[in-house]
Amino acid sequence: MKTIIEPFKIKSVEPINFNTKEERIKILKEAFYNPFLINSDDVLIDLLTDSGTSAMSSNQWAGIMKGDESYAGSPSFFRFKDAVQDITGMPDVIPAHQGRAAEKILFSILGGKGKYFISNTLFDTTRANIEFSGAEGIDLLCEEGKLTSVPAPFKGNMDVAALKKVIVEKGSENIPLCIITITNNSGGGQPVSMQNIKEVKEVCAAHNIPMFIDACRFAENSYFIKIREAGYSNKTVKEIAQEIFSYADGCTMSAKKDAFANIGGFLALHDKDLALKCRNLLVITEGFPTYGGLAGRDLEAIAIGLVEVLDENYLQYRIRSIEYLTNKLIAAGVPVMQPAGGHAVYLDAKEFLSHIPVEQYPGQALTGALYIEGGVRGVEIGSLMFGKYDEENKLIPAQMELVRLAIPRRVYTQSHIDYVSEVIIEVYNNRSKITGLKIIEEALMLRHFTAKLQPIDQ
Amino acid sequence: MTTVAQRKKALQQAGYNTFLLKSEDVYIDLLTDSGTSAMSDRQWAGMMLGDEAYAGSANFYHLEQVVRDIYGYKHMIPTHQGRGAENILSKVLIKKGDIIPGNMYFTTTRLHQELAGGRFEDIIINEAHDPENEFPFKGNVNLEKLEALIKKHGAKKIPYVSIATSVNMAGGQPISMKNLKDVRALTNKYGIRIIHDMTRVAENAYFIQQREKGYDKKSIASIVKEICSYTDGATMSAKKDALVNIGGFLAVNDWDVFEEARNMVVIYEGLHTYGGLAGRDMEAMAIGIGESVNDDHIKARIGQVIYLGEKMIEYEIPIVKPIGGHGIFVDAKKFLPHIPQDAFPAQTLAAEVYLDSGIRTMERGIVSAGRKANGENYYPKLELVRFTIPRRVYTQAHMDVIAESTQRVFEKRDRIKGMEMVYEPKYLRFFQAKFRKL
Repeated sequence: MKTIIEPFKIKSVEPINFNTKEERIKILKEAFYNPFLINSDDVLIDLLTDSGTSAMSSNQWAGIMKGDESYAGSPSFFRFKDAVQDITGMPDVIPAHQGRAAEKILFSILGGKGKYFISNTLFDTTRANIEFSGAEGIDLLCEEGKLTSVPAPFKGNMDVAALKKVIVEKGSENIPLCIITITNNSGGGQPVSMQNIKEVKEVCAAHNIPMFIDACRFAENSYFIKIREAGYSNKTVKEIAQEIFSYADGCTMSAKKDAFANIGGFLALHDKDLALKCRNLLVITEGFPTYGGLAGRDLEAIAIGLVEVLDENYLQYRIRSIEYLTNKLIAAGVPVMQPAGGHAVYLDAKEFLSHIPVEQYPGQALTGALYIEGGVRGVEIGSLMFGKYDEENKLIPAQMELVRLAIPRRVYTQSHIDYVSEVIIEVYNNRSKITGLKIIEEALMLRHFTAKLQPIDQ
Repeated sequence: MTTVAQRKKALQQAGYNTFLLKSEDVYIDLLTDSGTSAMSDRQWAGMMLGDEAYAGSANFYHLEQVVRDIYGYKHMIPTHQGRGAENILSKVLIKKGDIIPGNMYFTTTRLHQELAGGRFEDIIINEAHDPENEFPFKGNVNLEKLEALIKKHGAKKIPYVSIATSVNMAGGQPISMKNLKDVRALTNKYGIRIIHDMTRVAENAYFIQQREKGYDKKSIASIVKEICSYTDGATMSAKKDALVNIGGFLAVNDWDVFEEARNMVVIYEGLHTYGGLAGRDMEAMAIGIGESVNDDHIKARIGQVIYLGEKMIEYEIPIVKPIGGHGIFVDAKKFLPHIPQDAFPAQTLAAEVYLDSGIRTMERGIVSAGRKANGENYYPKLELVRFTIPRRVYTQAHMDVIAESTQRVFEKRDRIKGMEMVYEPKYLRFFQAKFRKL
């Protein structure tokens, strides 16, 4: 068969609340042109994030009912720990209420002024946690990763030559960690090759720098390695994932992505001393080490999700459905990141809205247009999320102006995706009418979550 | 079910710390009433209505409305649990060198105050430190102590007064409405906020209804709302009163504080419309808050605790009186008078109770109290073992077993020896410390 069907059937449904274009114009205005401030009831297709928005399986729901809510030493914790260890091989597993909490703990121990964390690309909350500690984050993405329209198989790779240079420049003693984000979320959900992971590991090992994996989408990355990298086609995705983790000294994971959980995350590592320090901080902000701020039932759901995500029928459907939407848009001439990534379609807003300068946040303007046209909610990954101000309060723009349309796992069907592509193409055909935005209120850190904007008068 | 030999081994592996036991090795789990409640059928139905959207979930708006309707606080930010709210509130309100007066410390609350640069000062009435004293409102504030503190340090150094309802470390003891009103009048005079540690506010309300003049005809819901009305904001662990397994929130009336807290919550917890919680957990919380102020529920809840307490009194086991709201607090100093506080009588007793019958309790004495900034141990007057009763989980037959088992340990108390600490973590040491029998 040519058609790849969803490898599941739907047991329980959640109704969509329909509204009109006129209503959406009003709603967007009241949300200050920030999709994060729109009520979810007012959204038709929610592509804001693939984080925590997955549909759980019937098995996971059964796990929810089995959750043991003991404060200490719950069997749900031990099942969770076994599931994480089976994939990562790491002896210490520390649960946290979500990924950013695991990062927060790690960086408050390892960070601080004068420290540098190197990565292929750090995600927004990861970067915020690093900067909050006083340290700096350095992104060293390979050259092809920065070119949206050039297809290459592993655009998430780290630039190994640049890594060597930065280590010499900053001094290995000032680099507590090197972090590889798989897949590279901010860079378009693009995978990192096993070859690149190995090379980064060699460089890090030579300088005694531990290498950690930001593992949110490890299964999607493993699947890309299977289908794109020489020598891996006959391996199972699980074997590939295990090989990735075998090169790492530790990992953080938001289980809200590839573990199909609505909440949860963890930190896993080999270094016993560091694990002890992490647990000492964990009890302050998260909870006791055998629950980490999660209900026992959520630990069960993660344990089951980690097994389900390695099913290759699922991964084939998952990766193929993103590719399906990307190809439809390419055929219509819409500028998108190529090739398709693992969890989202990334529109190139700089090219899509070439008449809007970066100071007027073309990505954010595009999210507004998509919402008004079809009630589709996406997120800007550009200068609103990553931009900074220089000493004269002038915007230092981000490298790219993207709009991410993240596809929740196992939630939408092909007809939803067809609808989304129609909305995007309609907006593209009328793009010249879209105007830029200016910020009228913003927070010091992670401003994109709560910033208020308004259209620039013509 | 486990045998004595199995429990002996489990206890050794856990370093005589009940926190480190596996729950599968526990017969009746009285470690905590936090997150261990049984949810109702309605809450489980709410779990199925979770809206897991990252931003603007319908469950958030439901919860926000419930917090406004039942507690009366204007602005609410969900957090994954109570300590998440304490962390953010402390960071927003406390400056280095500040003093935070409160009606007895609580472990995580005080730690967050200290980590934010503040210092906790106890202003609870002296009766609270005497387990035998039967004063009906041992959670009350000593107003002279509070005013003396304000005069000594100046109101500018006091960002807020921390008022707990149903004071945990004193044995689940309530504060009276009269005393709370007086604290409000005094703090108003100096322009100081009151922040309410409200995790067991409904249980406190029940004692006001039963014991305070003029409240016997009022509903728990109206008493709860009145309590909240005398405060400016609150931190809530919804894992207690609100009958959920996970969740909490921060609530304030002041817009500026709310805005700052909302910006901070995204770093630690999650976007302010989910705060690190699944949508379904916010829904279960919203429903649980409604159930928590139901008069019949609270009456049965505290009735069960009192049933157990009266059995223990009948067996002449020394417990904190009057009986509190969420558990029985056994006086380890009296129970094991031959063990000095440095040899951890409460930690020892908790281990012995587990060994006898597989019942898991928690130390609330010198181990929980931890160390001062200068490294010295705090020596709390109360050296207690807490038998915390989870809500709606155990039956009267379980209560009988608990009382009988404690009585057996009481009979052989002369033969029990103390312990020494062999591993001590830096923060909140009671969670992970390890011990050895002397």
